[in-house]
Amino acid sequence: MKKKLTILPSIFFLLILITFFYLLIIERNPSEIPSNLLNKNIPQFETDSLFNDKKFISSQKFGDEIILVNFFATWCKPCRDEHVYIKRFSNEKKIKVIGINYKDNKNKTIIWLKKLGNPYSDVAIDKSGMIAIDWGVYGIPETFIVDSNKIIKYRHVGPITQKMYKKINQIINESK
Amino acid sequence: MKIRSILIKVLFSISFFLLMHVVLINSHSVEPDEILKNQKQEQRARDISKNIRCMVCQNQSIDESNAPLAKDLRILIRNKIKNGQNDDEIYKFLTDRYGDFILLDTPFKLSTLALWFLPFVFFIIGFSIIYLHNKRSKNV
Repeated sequence: MKKKLTILPSIFFLLILITFFYLLIIERNPSEIPSNLLNKNIPQFETDSLFNDKKFISSQKFGDEIILVNFFATWCKPCRDEHVYIKRFSNEKKIKVIGINYKDNKNKTIIWLKKLGNPYSDVAIDKSGMIAIDWGVYGIPETFIVDSNKIIKYRHVGPITQKMYKKINQIINESK
Repeated sequence: MKIRSILIKVLFSISFFLLMHVVLINSHSVEPDEILKNQKQEQRARDISKNIRCMVCQNQSIDESNAPLAKDLRILIRNKIKNGQNDDEIYKFLTDRYGDFILLDTPFKLSTLALWFLPFVFFIIGFSIIYLHNKRSKNV
Protein backbone atom coordinates (compact mmCIF):
# COMPACT_ATOMS: atom_id res chain seq x y z
CA MET A 1 0.00 0.00 0.00
CA LYS A 2 2.78 2.37 0.98
CA LYS A 3 4.69 1.60 -2.20
CA LYS A 4 1.59 2.23 -4.28
CA LEU A 5 1.12 5.62 -2.70
CA THR A 6 4.61 6.73 -3.67
CA ILE A 7 4.47 5.30 -7.19
CA LEU A 8 1.12 6.89 -8.11
CA PRO A 9 2.19 10.53 -7.63
CA SER A 10 5.42 9.82 -9.53
CA ILE A 11 3.50 8.46 -12.53
CA PHE A 12 1.17 11.41 -12.32
CA PHE A 13 4.09 13.84 -12.23
CA LEU A 14 5.72 12.08 -15.18
CA LEU A 15 2.48 12.38 -17.18
CA ILE A 16 2.32 16.12 -16.52
CA LEU A 17 5.98 16.44 -17.51
CA ILE A 18 5.39 14.57 -20.79
CA THR A 19 2.37 16.75 -21.59
CA PHE A 20 4.39 19.93 -20.99
CA PHE A 21 7.26 18.74 -23.17
CA TYR A 22 4.87 17.62 -25.88
CA LEU A 23 3.27 21.07 -25.98
CA LEU A 24 6.72 22.67 -26.09
CA ILE A 25 7.94 20.52 -28.97
CA ILE A 26 4.93 20.57 -31.31
CA GLU A 27 4.69 23.55 -33.61
CA ARG A 28 1.98 25.88 -32.40
CA ASN A 29 1.37 29.50 -31.67
CA PRO A 30 -0.32 29.76 -28.28
CA SER A 31 -1.23 33.41 -28.80
CA GLU A 32 -3.18 32.66 -31.97
CA ILE A 33 -6.87 32.47 -31.30
CA PRO A 34 -8.90 30.05 -33.43
CA SER A 35 -11.63 31.73 -35.45
CA ASN A 36 -15.14 31.15 -34.23
CA LEU A 37 -16.41 31.46 -37.79
CA LEU A 38 -14.67 28.33 -39.10
CA ASN A 39 -17.05 26.12 -41.07
CA LYS A 40 -19.73 28.79 -40.84
CA ASN A 41 -21.23 31.02 -43.50
CA ILE A 42 -19.47 34.28 -44.27
CA PRO A 43 -20.97 37.42 -42.71
CA GLN A 44 -23.05 39.42 -45.19
CA PHE A 45 -22.18 43.06 -45.79
CA GLU A 46 -22.69 45.94 -48.18
CA THR A 47 -20.20 48.75 -48.61
CA ASP A 48 -18.44 50.90 -51.21
CA SER A 49 -16.04 49.41 -53.70
CA LEU A 50 -12.58 50.97 -54.01
CA PHE A 51 -12.26 51.00 -57.77
CA ASN A 52 -15.68 52.11 -58.96
CA ASP A 53 -18.79 53.83 -57.72
CA LYS A 54 -20.69 50.58 -57.56
CA LYS A 55 -21.65 49.05 -54.25
CA PHE A 56 -19.77 46.02 -52.97
CA ILE A 57 -22.49 43.49 -52.10
CA SER A 58 -20.98 40.39 -50.54
CA SER A 59 -23.83 38.06 -51.55
CA GLN A 60 -23.02 38.75 -55.22
CA LYS A 61 -19.27 38.29 -54.88
CA PHE A 62 -18.97 34.89 -53.21
CA GLY A 63 -20.20 31.44 -54.05
CA ASP A 64 -18.83 30.23 -57.39
CA GLU A 65 -15.27 29.37 -56.48
CA ILE A 66 -12.73 29.35 -53.68
CA ILE A 67 -11.91 32.92 -52.70
CA LEU A 68 -9.23 34.39 -50.47
CA VAL A 69 -10.37 37.32 -48.34
CA ASN A 70 -7.53 39.55 -47.23
CA PHE A 71 -7.95 42.36 -44.68
CA PHE A 72 -5.25 44.95 -45.34
CA ALA A 73 -4.33 48.64 -45.04
CA THR A 74 -1.62 50.85 -46.49
CA TRP A 75 -0.55 51.95 -42.98
CA CYS A 76 0.12 48.35 -41.97
CA LYS A 77 3.73 47.30 -42.56
CA PRO A 78 3.15 43.52 -42.40
CA CYS A 79 0.48 43.96 -45.13
CA ARG A 80 3.19 45.32 -47.44
CA ASP A 81 5.44 42.37 -46.50
CA GLU A 82 2.82 39.76 -47.39
CA HIS A 83 1.71 41.57 -50.57
CA VAL A 84 4.12 39.59 -52.74
CA TYR A 85 2.43 36.34 -51.65
CA ILE A 86 -1.07 37.74 -52.18
CA LYS A 87 0.07 38.55 -55.74
CA ARG A 88 1.38 35.02 -56.20
CA PHE A 89 -2.01 33.57 -55.18
CA SER A 90 -3.70 35.74 -57.78
CA ASN A 91 -1.13 35.56 -60.62
CA GLU A 92 0.42 32.11 -60.32
CA LYS A 93 -2.35 30.09 -58.67
CA LYS A 94 -5.20 31.98 -60.37
CA ILE A 95 -7.14 32.24 -57.15
CA LYS A 96 -9.66 35.04 -56.78
CA VAL A 97 -8.63 37.39 -53.98
CA ILE A 98 -10.98 39.93 -52.45
CA GLY A 99 -9.37 42.69 -50.42
CA ILE A 100 -11.02 44.45 -47.52
CA ASN A 101 -9.38 47.82 -46.99
CA TYR A 102 -9.42 48.39 -43.24
CA LYS A 103 -9.69 51.95 -41.84
CA ASP A 104 -7.71 53.51 -44.64
CA ASN A 105 -7.62 56.42 -47.06
CA LYS A 106 -9.15 55.68 -50.48
CA ASN A 107 -6.64 57.63 -52.59
CA LYS A 108 -3.65 56.33 -50.66
CA THR A 109 -4.85 52.77 -51.22
CA ILE A 110 -5.26 53.28 -54.98
CA ILE A 111 -1.72 54.70 -55.22
CA TRP A 112 -0.36 51.89 -53.00
CA LEU A 113 -1.93 49.23 -55.24
CA LYS A 114 -0.68 50.94 -58.42
CA LYS A 115 2.83 50.95 -57.01
CA LEU A 116 2.92 47.42 -55.60
CA GLY A 117 0.56 45.75 -58.06
CA ASN A 118 -3.07 44.89 -57.55
CA PRO A 119 -3.85 41.23 -56.84
CA TYR A 120 -7.46 41.91 -55.83
CA SER A 121 -10.43 41.20 -58.07
CA ASP A 122 -12.35 43.71 -55.95
CA VAL A 123 -11.67 45.76 -52.84
CA ALA A 124 -14.37 46.51 -50.28
CA ILE A 125 -13.92 49.60 -48.11
CA ASP A 126 -14.25 49.11 -44.36
CA LYS A 127 -13.94 52.68 -43.17
CA SER A 128 -15.34 52.16 -39.66
CA GLY A 129 -13.83 48.73 -39.00
CA MET A 130 -17.28 47.19 -38.45
CA ILE A 131 -16.95 44.67 -41.31
CA ALA A 132 -13.76 43.45 -39.66
CA ILE A 133 -15.60 42.99 -36.34
CA ASP A 134 -18.28 40.99 -38.19
CA TRP A 135 -15.53 38.68 -39.45
CA GLY A 136 -13.99 38.38 -35.96
CA VAL A 137 -10.83 40.17 -37.08
CA TYR A 138 -8.59 41.42 -34.26
CA GLY A 139 -5.36 42.41 -35.98
CA ILE A 140 -4.65 42.96 -39.65
CA PRO A 141 -3.41 41.47 -41.89
CA GLU A 142 -5.80 38.55 -41.67
CA THR A 143 -6.60 36.14 -44.48
CA PHE A 144 -9.60 33.84 -44.83
CA ILE A 145 -10.23 30.95 -47.21
CA VAL A 146 -13.88 30.89 -48.32
CA ASP A 147 -15.08 27.87 -50.29
CA SER A 148 -17.60 27.77 -53.15
CA ASN A 149 -20.45 27.29 -50.65
CA LYS A 150 -19.57 30.59 -48.93
CA ILE A 151 -18.21 28.67 -45.93
CA ILE A 152 -15.08 29.91 -44.11
CA LYS A 153 -12.53 27.07 -44.19
CA TYR A 154 -9.48 28.72 -42.67
CA ARG A 155 -8.28 31.93 -41.05
CA HIS A 156 -4.70 33.12 -40.76
CA VAL A 157 -3.77 36.01 -38.46
CA GLY A 158 -0.65 37.96 -39.39
CA PRO A 159 1.37 38.31 -42.58
CA ILE A 160 1.63 35.42 -45.02
CA THR A 161 5.16 34.03 -45.07
CA GLN A 162 6.73 31.47 -47.42
CA LYS A 163 5.70 28.71 -45.01
CA MET A 164 2.13 30.01 -44.68
CA TYR A 165 1.92 30.42 -48.47
CA LYS A 166 2.55 26.70 -48.87
CA LYS A 167 0.11 25.80 -46.10
CA ILE A 168 -2.68 27.98 -47.51
CA ASN A 169 -2.16 26.47 -50.97
CA GLN A 170 -2.47 23.04 -49.44
CA ILE A 171 -5.74 23.95 -47.67
CA ILE A 172 -7.09 25.49 -50.90
CA ASN A 173 -6.36 22.25 -52.75
CA GLU A 174 -8.09 20.26 -50.02
CA SER A 175 -11.15 22.53 -50.12
CA LYS A 176 -11.61 22.15 -53.88
CA MET B 1 16.85 57.51 14.08
CA LYS B 2 17.50 54.64 11.70
CA ILE B 3 14.30 52.86 12.70
CA ARG B 4 12.35 56.07 12.21
CA SER B 5 13.60 56.56 8.66
CA ILE B 6 12.85 52.93 7.81
CA LEU B 7 9.35 53.36 9.25
CA ILE B 8 8.78 56.49 7.16
CA LYS B 9 9.92 54.67 4.02
CA VAL B 10 7.64 51.71 4.75
CA LEU B 11 4.66 53.99 5.42
CA PHE B 12 5.39 55.95 2.26
CA SER B 13 5.56 52.74 0.19
CA ILE B 14 2.30 51.44 1.64
CA SER B 15 0.45 54.71 0.99
CA PHE B 16 1.86 54.88 -2.53
CA PHE B 17 0.75 51.29 -3.17
CA LEU B 18 -2.76 52.02 -1.85
CA LEU B 19 -3.01 55.20 -3.91
CA MET B 20 -1.93 53.37 -7.09
CA HIS B 21 -4.41 50.64 -6.30
CA VAL B 22 -7.28 53.14 -6.10
CA VAL B 23 -6.10 54.93 -9.25
CA LEU B 24 -5.72 51.72 -11.24
CA ILE B 25 -8.99 50.18 -10.10
CA ASN B 26 -10.86 53.27 -11.26
CA SER B 27 -8.92 53.61 -14.49
CA HIS B 28 -10.80 53.21 -17.72
CA SER B 29 -10.28 54.27 -21.29
CA VAL B 30 -13.79 55.40 -22.18
CA GLU B 31 -13.41 58.69 -24.03
CA PRO B 32 -15.80 61.60 -23.44
CA ASP B 33 -17.35 61.40 -26.92
CA GLU B 34 -18.27 57.75 -26.36
CA ILE B 35 -20.28 58.29 -23.17
CA LEU B 36 -24.04 57.90 -23.52
CA LYS B 37 -26.32 60.66 -22.21
CA ASN B 38 -28.63 58.15 -20.54
CA GLN B 39 -26.77 57.25 -17.33
CA LYS B 40 -28.49 53.90 -16.92
CA GLN B 41 -27.53 52.86 -20.46
CA GLU B 42 -23.97 54.11 -19.95
CA GLN B 43 -23.67 52.04 -16.76
CA ARG B 44 -24.89 48.96 -18.66
CA ALA B 45 -22.31 49.59 -21.38
CA ARG B 46 -19.56 49.95 -18.74
CA ASP B 47 -20.64 46.73 -17.00
CA ILE B 48 -20.59 44.76 -20.26
CA SER B 49 -17.27 46.32 -21.35
CA LYS B 50 -15.64 45.18 -18.10
CA ASN B 51 -16.43 41.55 -18.99
CA ILE B 52 -15.18 41.78 -22.59
CA ARG B 53 -11.56 40.96 -23.33
CA CYS B 54 -9.57 43.26 -25.55
CA MET B 55 -8.47 40.86 -28.29
CA VAL B 56 -5.37 42.96 -28.97
CA CYS B 57 -4.03 43.26 -25.41
CA GLN B 58 -5.66 40.01 -24.26
CA ASN B 59 -5.35 40.59 -20.52
CA GLN B 60 -7.24 43.84 -20.34
CA SER B 61 -10.95 44.44 -20.67
CA ILE B 62 -12.10 46.73 -23.46
CA ASP B 63 -13.14 49.15 -20.70
CA GLU B 64 -9.47 49.63 -19.76
CA SER B 65 -7.78 49.23 -23.13
CA ASN B 66 -6.66 52.03 -25.42
CA ALA B 67 -6.46 49.77 -28.49
CA PRO B 68 -8.49 51.02 -31.49
CA LEU B 69 -10.39 47.70 -31.67
CA ALA B 70 -11.41 48.09 -28.01
CA LYS B 71 -12.77 51.57 -28.79
CA ASP B 72 -14.70 50.18 -31.79
CA LEU B 73 -16.21 47.48 -29.60
CA ARG B 74 -17.14 49.98 -26.87
CA ILE B 75 -18.95 52.12 -29.46
CA LEU B 76 -20.60 49.03 -30.96
CA ILE B 77 -21.89 47.95 -27.54
CA ARG B 78 -23.28 51.45 -26.89
CA ASN B 79 -25.01 51.52 -30.29
CA LYS B 80 -26.59 48.15 -29.60
CA ILE B 81 -27.81 49.34 -26.19
CA LYS B 82 -29.28 52.46 -27.80
CA ASN B 83 -31.04 50.23 -30.33
CA GLY B 84 -32.73 48.40 -27.47
CA GLN B 85 -30.80 45.13 -27.48
CA ASN B 86 -30.50 43.32 -24.15
CA ASP B 87 -27.23 42.18 -22.52
CA ASP B 88 -27.58 38.55 -23.64
CA GLU B 89 -28.03 39.59 -27.26
CA ILE B 90 -24.89 41.76 -27.09
CA TYR B 91 -22.80 38.99 -25.47
CA LYS B 92 -24.09 36.54 -28.10
CA PHE B 93 -23.15 38.93 -30.94
CA LEU B 94 -19.60 39.15 -29.60
CA THR B 95 -19.08 35.45 -28.81
CA ASP B 96 -20.53 34.46 -32.21
CA ARG B 97 -17.69 36.37 -33.84
CA TYR B 98 -14.79 36.06 -31.40
CA GLY B 99 -15.67 32.91 -29.46
CA ASP B 100 -15.77 32.46 -25.68
CA PHE B 101 -12.24 33.85 -25.54
CA ILE B 102 -13.67 37.36 -25.71
CA LEU B 103 -15.31 36.82 -22.30
CA LEU B 104 -12.92 37.51 -19.43
CA ASP B 105 -14.75 34.94 -17.29
CA THR B 106 -14.79 31.37 -18.54
CA PRO B 107 -18.41 30.38 -19.16
CA PHE B 108 -19.79 27.40 -17.26
CA LYS B 109 -20.67 24.73 -19.83
CA LEU B 110 -20.00 21.13 -20.78
CA SER B 111 -16.72 21.81 -22.59
CA THR B 112 -15.35 23.82 -19.65
CA LEU B 113 -16.45 21.48 -16.83
CA ALA B 114 -12.92 20.06 -16.43
CA LEU B 115 -11.53 23.59 -16.13
CA TRP B 116 -13.96 24.43 -13.34
CA PHE B 117 -13.86 21.19 -11.38
CA LEU B 118 -10.34 19.80 -11.75
CA PRO B 119 -8.84 22.26 -9.21
CA PHE B 120 -11.30 20.97 -6.58
CA VAL B 121 -10.55 17.36 -7.54
CA PHE B 122 -6.81 18.00 -7.22
CA PHE B 123 -7.38 19.73 -3.90
CA ILE B 124 -9.29 16.73 -2.56
CA ILE B 125 -6.62 14.31 -3.84
CA GLY B 126 -3.83 16.39 -2.28
CA PHE B 127 -5.70 16.76 0.97
CA SER B 128 -6.38 13.01 1.17
CA ILE B 129 -2.71 12.20 0.53
CA ILE B 130 -1.59 14.53 3.34
CA TYR B 131 -4.33 13.22 5.64
CA LEU B 132 -3.46 9.55 5.01
CA HIS B 133 0.24 10.27 5.35
CA ASN B 134 -0.23 12.04 8.69
CA LYS B 135 -2.52 9.32 9.98
CA ARG B 136 0.02 6.66 9.13
CA SER B 137 2.98 8.49 10.66
CA LYS B 138 0.98 8.97 13.87
CA ASN B 139 0.26 5.23 14.02
CA VAL B 140 3.97 4.50 13.72
